[in-house]
Amino acid sequence: MTTSTAKTGGYTGIDLNADRNRNSTLGAVALAILGLVWANGHLDGYQMQLLNLVAINAILAVSLNFIYGFAGMFSLGHAGFMAIGAYVSALCILTPDQKDMIWLLEPIWGPLNTVHTSFFVSVLLGGLAAALCGFLIAFPVMRLGGDYLGIATLGFAEIIRVLFTNWPALTNGAIGLRGIPAYANLWWNYAWLGLTLFVILAILKSNFGNVLKSIRDDEIAAQTMGINTTAYRTMAFCLGAFFAGVGGALMGSLVTTIQPKMFNFLLTFNIMMIVVAGGLGSITGSLVGAAVVTLMLEWLRIIEYPIDVNMTYLMGHAWLQVLITALALAALWFSFRQVRKSGRGLSMKKALWSLPIVFCGLILAGFVLRWLNADILPAEFTIPGIPGMRMLLFSVALILIIIFRRQGMMGSREFSWNAFYRFFRVPEKQKNIPMAKGAAMEISGVTMRFGGVTAIDNLSMTIPEKKVVGLIGPNGAGKTTVFNVITGFYRPQEGRVVFQGLPMTQLEPRTVCAVGVARTFQNIRLFAGGTVLENVMTGCHVRQDSRWWMAPLRLPMFHKEENEIRRKSYALLARLGLAELADEKAASLPYGAQRRLEIARALATDPSFLLLDEPAAGMNPQESGELMRFIEKVRDEFDLTILMIEHDMKVVMGVCSHIWVLEYGRLIAEGGPDDIRSNPKVISAYLGHQATETA
Amino acid sequence: MTFELFIQNFFNALTVGSLYALIAIGYTMVYGILRFINFAHGDVFMVGAYFIFFGAATFALPWPLAAVAAIVGSAALGIIVDRIAYRPLREAPRISALISAIGVSFLLENLGLVIFTGLPRPAVQPEWMVNPIILGNIRILPISFIVPLVTAVLVMGLLWLVYRTRPGLAMRAISRDIETTRLMGVSIDRIIALTFGLGSALAAAAGIMWAMRYPQIHPFMGVMPGFKAFIAAVVGGIGSIQGAVLGGVLLGTVEIMAVAFYPELSGYRDAFAFVLLIVILLFRPTGLLGEKLDDKI
Amino acid sequence: MLELRDMHVRYGGIHAVQGVNITVNKGEIVTLIGANGAGKSSTVRAVAGLVKGASGSIMYTGRDGAATELIGQPPERMVPLGLALSPEGRRILPHLTVSENLDLGAYSRSDRKAIAEDKEWIYGLFPRLKERHWQKGGTLSGGEQQMLAVGRALMSRPDLLMLDEPSLGLAPILVQEIFEIIRRLNTEDGKTILLIEQNAYAALNIAHKAYILEVGNIVLEGSGKDLLQNHKVKEAYLGG
Repeated sequence: MTTSTAKTGGYTGIDLNADRNRNSTLGAVALAILGLVWANGHLDGYQMQLLNLVAINAILAVSLNFIYGFAGMFSLGHAGFMAIGAYVSALCILTPDQKDMIWLLEPIWGPLNTVHTSFFVSVLLGGLAAALCGFLIAFPVMRLGGDYLGIATLGFAEIIRVLFTNWPALTNGAIGLRGIPAYANLWWNYAWLGLTLFVILAILKSNFGNVLKSIRDDEIAAQTMGINTTAYRTMAFCLGAFFAGVGGALMGSLVTTIQPKMFNFLLTFNIMMIVVAGGLGSITGSLVGAAVVTLMLEWLRIIEYPIDVNMTYLMGHAWLQVLITALALAALWFSFRQVRKSGRGLSMKKALWSLPIVFCGLILAGFVLRWLNADILPAEFTIPGIPGMRMLLFSVALILIIIFRRQGMMGSREFSWNAFYRFFRVPEKQKNIPMAKGAAMEISGVTMRFGGVTAIDNLSMTIPEKKVVGLIGPNGAGKTTVFNVITGFYRPQEGRVVFQGLPMTQLEPRTVCAVGVARTFQNIRLFAGGTVLENVMTGCHVRQDSRWWMAPLRLPMFHKEENEIRRKSYALLARLGLAELADEKAASLPYGAQRRLEIARALATDPSFLLLDEPAAGMNPQESGELMRFIEKVRDEFDLTILMIEHDMKVVMGVCSHIWVLEYGRLIAEGGPDDIRSNPKVISAYLGHQATETA
Repeated sequence: MTFELFIQNFFNALTVGSLYALIAIGYTMVYGILRFINFAHGDVFMVGAYFIFFGAATFALPWPLAAVAAIVGSAALGIIVDRIAYRPLREAPRISALISAIGVSFLLENLGLVIFTGLPRPAVQPEWMVNPIILGNIRILPISFIVPLVTAVLVMGLLWLVYRTRPGLAMRAISRDIETTRLMGVSIDRIIALTFGLGSALAAAAGIMWAMRYPQIHPFMGVMPGFKAFIAAVVGGIGSIQGAVLGGVLLGTVEIMAVAFYPELSGYRDAFAFVLLIVILLFRPTGLLGEKLDDKI
Repeated sequence: MLELRDMHVRYGGIHAVQGVNITVNKGEIVTLIGANGAGKSSTVRAVAGLVKGASGSIMYTGRDGAATELIGQPPERMVPLGLALSPEGRRILPHLTVSENLDLGAYSRSDRKAIAEDKEWIYGLFPRLKERHWQKGGTLSGGEQQMLAVGRALMSRPDLLMLDEPSLGLAPILVQEIFEIIRRLNTEDGKTILLIEQNAYAALNIAHKAYILEVGNIVLEGSGKDLLQNHKVKEAYLGG
């Protein structure tokens, strides 16, 4: 989904980049047209055919995605709609003379013989006929949910196919129609694709798109919002059917011959494959998927043809032998490792990684045989083409996508110009911003909204240098959001954060770390697989000067720095009382030690500002007492500013010299511990009547 | 229509209906527990037919042994398919499992194409099955008696298993409430594997008998019977074994008798099932014997 | 017998149980009390292996004296260890008969004769179930379903019986009956019981030990009798 206002000023709901984006779209369309002009002049017939197929498959995929990914109706009837579109359109553009030639067994039904229309009108009629059929079957099948709808629509498609086979007066039966005029050129196909996209995107981007998605996600809730779900589902189904009919009509004119058996379940399956591979619920995904799957299917035809292997040629080139052997050995070794790593027992992963082992093993065996000069392997042989191999690979691909990357290539994301320009944005030159004396960080007027919810509302804080200060407030007050804004995970809609004169709100999290702000997390996020020492060493990476490629080269500079990091990490652990745990797995540490390790790792990045998110969470009073002393020690020894979020009032009141109190994203109080303790607003919002007892 | 013809058609209908019923049981059991259409089920039926072909023709096993081997092999295939393609998706939206099932279906068909080639193969038929029994003017193939009989025995056995044994109890419990059933100490993965195994074994039995009745085996032979058997399961009420049997026999009868009485409709034979489906669902959305499942609001 | 140490439950972003420590000793009735959403159900569901986001430690010592860490174990492993949960909302299988529901409870056992005896014992505890043993579970009344849920959990011969809100939605007279049976299961049959309740008064009355949960934390613990007298408990849970 586009987040159009992430970068711009206030949240008005209006895309401030609308002009730019519209111009960009127009530019892209113009570019696409130029591309088509070029393609028209330069590509050969086969390539043109592919390009046309991409457009038609894109129309079909977008229409199926509209029905299924957006309106949530599992429809397997696309082939039926395509058949209707193809036949209606063909009947409209075949001339009466041609019809006389085609309908030999049984004469064509009277009135049809006289019909003759232009190509555009025929495609339109094809689409409308499909939509009409969609409307008629929508009545009985729309009441069915989920899989029943799928099987009923599949049934519809089969009925259409059987009907067309057995109705020679209308369709010329199983023989089908030949010599359909090939009007469907690049221009028509891409113009129809453009129209499809225009109509469907216009609906999806409007509030009606939200309505459709709400029906998909929760039909009952949608009904209680006053939405006529049946009407909208029917509308979506018919519109999808319309464009499926259009796609079928174009397909018919492209291939010029149609038969009922063309429109079988396999066709629906291919389109389904495109939609799933591209990403259910992403129009962009359907377009990308149409291109990738169409071209892949063509490209994979190779494996259904025989392949000639000339061993003498391979053996004749020493360097080629060496290269292939090396590659095969490397692949073999890598696959073996993967199989070993995938653990005991049978697993999907193991099975997959065994395939390259077999393949490479065969290659190597072939070489060995030739070297031994055995006549077992002929010098030249042909790997026979295997029919069915292409669909076999394709079905494997579909299963793998569903198991390992269910969301497809795009998930439900869409292309957006805002994201596009964000990607190419040149970082603005940072200007130093003057700060108040003695302040480590200034947060001024920061507002952070998520959708309609304001998580932080116009927050301003001036954090003094070299102090331990606290941020408190009830759950959901927005405390952690403040941390996420400071450390660059969120971009606030308004306001700015200045650290040592540097504006922070545009920085990436890693840059925030580089300028000297480190943090810990509420729910400890250690690198669980690594040891304690490794966790801390990872923290040192941000200050590391040597580069990864120096490691295999064993450069002295690398060695020196590596030793330095190891020494420094040990020293850090020693200072924090974790030295004897250095080689333990981080995940195996007791809770309190994990908290301290996370702080140690943060300190390894050499920060001058440290953010601690609920460091005392889950600690008993004794542990939290130790933690208080620990924090003060860290502040003194490492000479830094600490801002902490904490619920344990004893800790907060004990170590913080200044405290800010948030409620519903707004600052309701700030001051020293004594001011906060006695502030009536804070008591009623957060501390409650027990404040006097516990604090 | 003469009485003799009617009797012949009656047995035909019973045969086809029994075969649909056997396949439909697999659909209905899997759907009852996991709530998704195992599209690959029809292809297990096809594999069963190939297994017996290779068992009898290539390995020259005696016919009954080949049949047992084919059934066991198909059951194993069903379990493997579940393990690889469905089990990783248990927590995923049901639609994912469904697409995975479509993928497996095409995989098996094309694997059949690659391994067995697309050429139809003749099935091996024992002598005593092909010599028709002649009663007056009626000629009936022994297979027409055998199929309904074997089906009846298999269905009885299955019903005994589901209603009288502990794994059967667990199966029935899982179909309604997986979490509670696990609390009682039932390992659902095992029970689901058992379900796939049983369903696939029945499909293989159907495949073997289908090959006896229509002695031509090819990689796509499972597609249409598969769709129709699923429809039979829906018509009978999905989740109900008795419903699957009823739906299968009903569908077989409609197909054979409609063509018998109106020969001009023979071209439309493959469409009857789908028409029957839409009509039944219009009037009884949960099928003939299906229980109404309440939507939770 | 059962020992929870710093046990957390997280569902997505919700931290439902925030590090509780609970000890259940052999032969005790221990009760967890608290408002809706306090984390009571999440706690027992974690013990039963039904939640994915549990962390910390849940140690269970079975009849053979071996201690087992329950976190990460699937629910079907619990019954063989000697734990049984009668879940919230009863969760009777409506299409199975009363008798079949009880058989399902004994799924992990294979001693047919003993199972039959236990079934008779359950029918003795709940004569209503015997009268209706051939009826479908779904046709029972709420109270009968609750009896069936408890009986089904007992069919696995558990050492530790966990009951999640057995009094939910029952008429007062039936509540009394259920609690009387819980008490008898403890005193006469020596079952250890972990009881989740909203009906604090009834639960505290029969409990040896009680924990009070508020927003995922234990705020009070003590013997049932003490808590009955406790000021705060009276105010918050016993209605003055």
